[in-house]
Amino acid sequence: MKFGLGVNANETTREIVKKSIEAERLGIDYVWIADVPVQLYAPTVASAIAANTRKIQIGVGLLSTFLYAPNHIANSFATLIEAYGERFELLIGPGDKDQLKRVGLSMAHPVPDYILKSKHQIEKTLSKNTVKGRIWLGAQGPKMLKIAKFFDGVLLNYAHPNLVKWAINKIGRVKTKRFQFGVFAPSYVYSDFDQNVHGFLRISSAVVALGAPRTILKRIGLHEKIVEAKKKLDSGLAIKSILDDIPLKTVEFFSIFKPSSQLGTYLSELSKMKVEHMVFSYPQNFSEKTIKELAQALKSIKEQ
Amino acid sequence: MLLDLGITSGMQLKQILRLSELAQKLGLKYVWLGEDISGHHDVFTVASYILLKHSNLNVGIGITSPLIRNITTLARASVSLAQIGGDKRFRLGLGIGGLQDLKNLGITVKNPVSLMHNATTLLRRIWKGETVSFQAGAGFTLQRYHPSYRLSYQIPIFFGVRGPKLLMLAGEIADGVILSGPKTYLMKAASLVRTSLQKRPEASRDFPFVVWVPTILTEKPGDLKLVKRIVAFVLADTPKKVLEMAELNLNEIEKIKLAFRNEGISKASRMVTEGLIEEIAIHGNPTQICEAFKQLEKLGVQEVVFGPPYGSNPEAALTKLAQTWWRSS
Repeated sequence: MKFGLGVNANETTREIVKKSIEAERLGIDYVWIADVPVQLYAPTVASAIAANTRKIQIGVGLLSTFLYAPNHIANSFATLIEAYGERFELLIGPGDKDQLKRVGLSMAHPVPDYILKSKHQIEKTLSKNTVKGRIWLGAQGPKMLKIAKFFDGVLLNYAHPNLVKWAINKIGRVKTKRFQFGVFAPSYVYSDFDQNVHGFLRISSAVVALGAPRTILKRIGLHEKIVEAKKKLDSGLAIKSILDDIPLKTVEFFSIFKPSSQLGTYLSELSKMKVEHMVFSYPQNFSEKTIKELAQALKSIKEQ
Repeated sequence: MLLDLGITSGMQLKQILRLSELAQKLGLKYVWLGEDISGHHDVFTVASYILLKHSNLNVGIGITSPLIRNITTLARASVSLAQIGGDKRFRLGLGIGGLQDLKNLGITVKNPVSLMHNATTLLRRIWKGETVSFQAGAGFTLQRYHPSYRLSYQIPIFFGVRGPKLLMLAGEIADGVILSGPKTYLMKAASLVRTSLQKRPEASRDFPFVVWVPTILTEKPGDLKLVKRIVAFVLADTPKKVLEMAELNLNEIEKIKLAFRNEGISKASRMVTEGLIEEIAIHGNPTQICEAFKQLEKLGVQEVVFGPPYGSNPEAALTKLAQTWWRSS
């Protein structure tokens, strides 16, 4: 199993680079650079990380195919590989509906067809540039899971083993050997609990829940409450002010919240389901301390 | 006056790096990176690469079009570059974009003045950290958009525009201007910007005029062929208003444009006259080019860009030109 740290959440490029250097030093395999319209532009952040690290693999995305034209995605990926070598992987998907709405964009329907078409265009441009790299799909709901087999892997945006198992069953058998299952979720793995970081985890889990498809929410019994919360959000209220309306269960389903002593059991459960890639995203990257706590937990699991 | 290096994102990355490295060694301070819309590199990633590799070079994107990306992408990519460069090393050049490139993408420009005005206003509001709501069509509609990133300094916005109304707008709201076009046109364009700039005397004290025209080191008779090709290429993408301001023979140019469209660049370049070469391009030996550049100082130009195709050997051309430039400065 490979492990990654998610970055690019309210940080400066300098802070991200510093944390990536630390992640590399601590033996984390990947750094994944999130890309939402209110954060820094992931490809340039990837460039800064690559210029300052030696071997850590760099994941770029999720890049929304509704925010970027396929040739822009392909060109940024190709430029990174040409400049720094084959250290990059790409994650594409629809992105967050609410975030897209905020920048005047809507999703063209049917979404899976559009994503697949974009993926083919990206590959076509990459092959013209003689560039190759793993392309992951970021997915949650059944419609997106259906097209996962056409990618090199899928990164699921939830963390509860039951949901992961359900998604893997939905995808079914994939013939391509290269294909991998992965999880990309808000995380807080700790050895020295910090209430402040837990607060950020709650917000991140709520954001994922608010953007989750109905099928998923119904499956975990949160649909009605999330719909109500969404209405308040749409009326202009800030997410922090509606946090009490969002059940704490969202943390359980959508994020990895574990003391370091329990991480091994959780990972072993996922490993049995053939999950090979784990991305611990915000707020695990909150500070060098939280990164270290994750790295130490992973190190002790590897040593067992 | 400063001598800058001009490169485009469509060039080979190795060549971009070699030329930037050489520019730094030769004592140049600024690199302008033009976006080749149909090329295979991301202009922002290339800019980051130069900023990261060459700590003494300042980088400007000159230009990118707000028509081909969401405005928030432009905003945050610029902030990323400003953060990477630090110490005010990044500048953003905005323009409508090449007519042919936009046409190929199926983009039509309806109101360029309003487009550039909106783009500039929105970028500055986003960079200030405001929560922005705005309604102005594709790519420019924002609903309670609030950036989470922070900016270390106000990124200067340069306009790379050509029409009279846009040049006036540059004087009104931009932080600098990149002019390109025939020499007669350049005089008029600079004058339009300056007139408009008078409305804000506080800005006029620090408002760089940059000129980027095709410049080619010609050392043997065969090099003139390259000049002609470049002139034909430039003419094919020059709007009528610019040609009128340049007082060029529109019929003659229409024939070249037609040949370019129907028979290709080789045929069109054979129709390029000496008069057109003199108007559109700067060419000659290093001394002649430096003299032509220095003539531009009379227009109040502070920076001249030595950009592609440079000459038959780009690196040798840049070296010779920069060395001559420093000797004559």
